Amino acid sequence: MTAASQTPAAPARSAPKRWPTSLVLGIALLAPLLVVAVAGPWLAPYPYDEMNIMSRLQPPGPDFWFGTDEYGRDVFSRTLVGTTNSLVMGVAATAISLLVGVPLGLVAGYGRGRTDEIIMRCMDVLMSFPPILLGILVLAVTPPALWKAVVAIGIVYVPQVVRLTRAITLELMQEEFITAARLRGESTAYILFHEILPNIWPPLAVESSLRVVFAILLGAALSFIGMGAQPPSSDWGLMISEARPFVEQAPWIALCPGLAMGITVIGINLLGDGLRAVLDPRNTGGH
Amino acid sequence: MTALVPLSAAASPDPTPTPASATAVSALLEVRNLTINYASPRGTLRAASDVSFAIRPGEVMGLVGESGSGKSTVAMAILDLLGEAGRIDGGEILFEGTDLRRLSAAHRRRLRGDRIAAVFQDPFTSLNPALTVGRQIAEPLVQHKGFTPRQAAPRVEELLAEVGIREPRRIAQSYPHQLSGGMQQRVLIATALGCDPKLLILDEPTTALDVTVEARIIELLAGLCESHHLSALFVSHNLGIVNRICNSVCVLYGSEVVETGRTRDVLARPVHPYTKGLVAALPRITTDRRHRLSSIPGTVSKLSGASESCVFAPRCPFAEETCRRLPQALRGDAAGNSVRCWKAEALAGTPWPEESTASRPQAAPPARTAPLVQVEALRKVFGERRSILPWLRRDGTVAVDDVSFTIQRGEVLGVVGESGSGKSTIGRSLLALIEPTAGTVLFDGADFVKQAKEGDRDLRRRAQLVFQNSAASLNPRKTVGAAMERPLVLAGRQGEAERREMIAALLTRVGLPAAYADRYPHELSGGERQRVNIARALATDPEFVVCDEAVSALDVSVQANILNLLADLRDELGLSYLFITHDIAVVSHIADRVLVVYGGTICEEGPIGRVLRPPYHPYTEALLSAVPRLSGAEDGPEPERILLEDSTAPPGGGGCAFRGRCPRKLGAICDERAPPVQTAADGHRIACHIPLAELAERASVFPELAALH
Repeated sequence: MTAASQTPAAPARSAPKRWPTSLVLGIALLAPLLVVAVAGPWLAPYPYDEMNIMSRLQPPGPDFWFGTDEYGRDVFSRTLVGTTNSLVMGVAATAISLLVGVPLGLVAGYGRGRTDEIIMRCMDVLMSFPPILLGILVLAVTPPALWKAVVAIGIVYVPQVVRLTRAITLELMQEEFITAARLRGESTAYILFHEILPNIWPPLAVESSLRVVFAILLGAALSFIGMGAQPPSSDWGLMISEARPFVEQAPWIALCPGLAMGITVIGINLLGDGLRAVLDPRNTGGH
Repeated sequence: MTALVPLSAAASPDPTPTPASATAVSALLEVRNLTINYASPRGTLRAASDVSFAIRPGEVMGLVGESGSGKSTVAMAILDLLGEAGRIDGGEILFEGTDLRRLSAAHRRRLRGDRIAAVFQDPFTSLNPALTVGRQIAEPLVQHKGFTPRQAAPRVEELLAEVGIREPRRIAQSYPHQLSGGMQQRVLIATALGCDPKLLILDEPTTALDVTVEARIIELLAGLCESHHLSALFVSHNLGIVNRICNSVCVLYGSEVVETGRTRDVLARPVHPYTKGLVAALPRITTDRRHRLSSIPGTVSKLSGASESCVFAPRCPFAEETCRRLPQALRGDAAGNSVRCWKAEALAGTPWPEESTASRPQAAPPARTAPLVQVEALRKVFGERRSILPWLRRDGTVAVDDVSFTIQRGEVLGVVGESGSGKSTIGRSLLALIEPTAGTVLFDGADFVKQAKEGDRDLRRRAQLVFQNSAASLNPRKTVGAAMERPLVLAGRQGEAERREMIAALLTRVGLPAAYADRYPHELSGGERQRVNIARALATDPEFVVCDEAVSALDVSVQANILNLLADLRDELGLSYLFITHDIAVVSHIADRVLVVYGGTICEEGPIGRVLRPPYHPYTEALLSAVPRLSGAEDGPEPERILLEDSTAPPGGGGCAFRGRCPRKLGAICDERAPPVQTAADGHRIACHIPLAELAERASVFPELAALH
């Protein structure tokens, strides 16, 4: 019997992939947010900075769906308009941490030895700073601005990305397909970006979706202490911070931005989870 | 047997129960019509369908099958450890006459570890690294017998002594990492014996161990079962071991029992076509390199429900139209054996079809020209640190010590050794994946390590590697085609159409459909993936391939396929192989010459026919005698086995690497001086202090091999 005649019959491939529920739900939650982020100022029933002393601290009602704040500004309108700032802060900061962190992690994991030591010890130093303090450090010397807050948040999260990337790289380096690549004479760059990187994306996608959420929260914290978005401009974190003194008198001021933040967090988490499932080729076809 | 229990089959003179006639009274464990399904995202998968067998007190039953046959699932079901996805959909598991499934979970837990104990495959992960061995052996005693840990201590030592550990008190206080694999498995056996169980479930208990260690553990288990009148269910894929330890055997294929009966009947005269194939595909020690292994074509198909036809029909050479229409029933014969094949009587005397040997020309003896690979005094030390500061200096572990050999063009050199013998390090050094500490590797006259460092792609192209783990050696995110395309791109094949054509040709070459290029590795079976690996290695058009345990992870039937493929490729493309393996039977099918390595040194070297016959190096002799074999009654009594001490770290310093375990150690000379290399015959060299004449006096381990010339 020759080898060719032993060819097993090709088993039928399974049905085309279905979108996982988590991905559909995530998109369903995030799509309106994106619309609001772009069209917020036009959708808002009132201008976000219009003060109305006569109707300050109004509870939610037919005129003001989510009530008004201490200056009589419509909380709902401010939340809609603040979407842009919050989302940009989260996504841009995460992008910065990925852009810096992934290559560093790859190099550390692949190079090992001294390269690894140097990169990881630098990351340890960075991690030992409390995130807020690091944010303040970046912002304190110059006047606060939103983009500076974004960069600061991005840098704060670089070590986590580096650690994750390095851990997965180290694990993959043990795999024989990397040895096979070295054996056929592939360059280091090819191995890093074509063999290792595609295997890092799925866990990184999940991690990044969490990162976006943390970045929004940290951005809120920075705005809260006055280092992020500047009044009277609107940002969810800033709004919650402004609501703090009135939390007993008018709890609704924090409700709307809080809800918006919750929806974002859940939506992005679901999206990340769904992405991981879709990106994995092992989730298609047979076993 | 009582009259109350109806017997479906004619009462047989032989007391060995068959699934059909077993009685609840005589059987300790009886599995009746067990059906287990696994829920998966793509519907239910059948893991066991209508599985029935019985184990009587004192009986050791082998549960045999290839991966995916459902053998471990059945064992897990008996232990109530199926997990979330597995569901028992029918049948009974009777232990001492009570159906385990009717008992409460708490009651079942009380049985487990007390009356029913288990030993699993991997001793390295079965023990908790944070607890002393003694404490872990005491655990079942504390749990089931109400001992305090202090009270348990004498019993723990007793148990350790029983499993052949010489210093029980010291070992009880040590941690798992301080023990060798064989010792760890002994500890686990001691743990299982703690509560004096009635039934042992042994799930591949020796698969992770070296052959010489395996031989000792099997000996121990066989002795314990006899002295304690223990029953055991021995789950294994290794027919040789089953032959040695089991009274009866139950062969599973595609989640069904296909044949069951007394071991000596089933393995010596298999009736079911699958059992015939399995026995025929087993590599046996041979000196005829041209002999093609028999193989079972095709792969196990995934079953998702009750089948309409015989499960084995798609791979069966005897299948006819009726087989595809008729679901098969298990039928017993007068001797108490049962077979699930309607053609059983007709096929009883028919052997598995032999692979034709005519197609293989006798390869011309390798030309005595300049060797293709020349290794000179290779030495590799891991973890050594040199420094002018004495406290920073660290001695490394010597993996390979002063190894020299050559490989001719078109020659297959086998490297046989156990784990830690340095065989993989040798292979990787040849490919410059590891930089040798000392010594040179010449490939076609050029310094391979130096050239590879300088990025010489042409030299890289000419030497390739086939890995053991077919899954890990393919990037899970790349299709088969993409994985095979890269070597072609690197070789300068620019045209995409040309590359696609070459990939299709390569896939056909290794016996896969060209359409497989679009598949991802996880969509292929283990044997198919290994074919892809071979195709990828061939893509660079190499002259030399290192096969690092390339067939070790495969099922017997697939292993035979891949071995035949490798042999064909050698003949047709004139390839040279360095064939690294722990399995001497495999190597005897493909290699021209063999190196037997131990502790990083070569102890014996020579043409395969000479290494298999005396004179033997004491290690080779032990290794050969430990190989589990299928020997029927016609082969006469099995020769005495040489059992080595459990492996310990090879002693440092000068002297023979094997001296720590050598049963024939002479004395101080073995400790102090490296053994001299003695030439027994042309190309047959043995490194030992014992004079050749004395080595030659030993009887052959394989008397069935005809004397040379």
